[in-house]
Amino acid sequence: MHNYTIFDPDQKYIILPIFVSDKNGEEHLLKAILDTGAPTTEFSDEALEFLGFLDRTKHDVELKRGLQTQKYGRITISHMDICSHHIDNLEVFVSHFEKSWGIDALIGLDFFRKFRTTIDYKKGAVITEIFQSEAP
Amino acid sequence: MAQKMTWQEMKEAFPDEWLLVTDYESDKYGNVTIGVVERHSQDKSEVFRLPALKKSCAFVYTGESTFPGGWRAHAQLHDI
Repeated sequence: MHNYTIFDPDQKYIILPIFVSDKNGEEHLLKAILDTGAPTTEFSDEALEFLGFLDRTKHDVELKRGLQTQKYGRITISHMDICSHHIDNLEVFVSHFEKSWGIDALIGLDFFRKFRTTIDYKKGAVITEIFQSEAP
Repeated sequence: MAQKMTWQEMKEAFPDEWLLVTDYESDKYGNVTIGVVERHSQDKSEVFRLPALKKSCAFVYTGESTFPGGWRAHAQLHDI
């Protein structure tokens, strides 16, 4: 079964909504960039702290020149929805994002390992399908 | 009690700020179209500060993203 997730092809990046459940089960909407250059999905430390997955955000993290993000830990998010797929217990990097990036997550190649993914710019859609070996 | 605002109203009232929006609705792209702005600040950490609200929230930025990702940006940073 294919899931179609519409994105705005006029935007500079493919920005997708993701829904993440916090420690109390409340679901929150965050914005993420689909990033084929990121090996692993990353979340902003401030968002993770709000969601209850991180005890304390490090405030002395500085972005190094030439790096897009500054990863400094790993954490497991118990439940999230990306492209209408439920993903449980995904380990992600804790990362520092600049506030002007306007996003709170990078969806990396670990997502592509779970789903056959087609990016159709003409339709403005990300088409995802669970691999047969992982289908329930 | 705060009133509902459209996305356009939010952008005009809070330019280049992070917003925490509740009671929101979104369009087919997942963009917030209407909702109640519970917190707003140019300081992102103010919007994400604890305690978390015990209701579903959306976090949005009203400015233009300056995300520099990709190899092209990497090359530009290093004058390649």
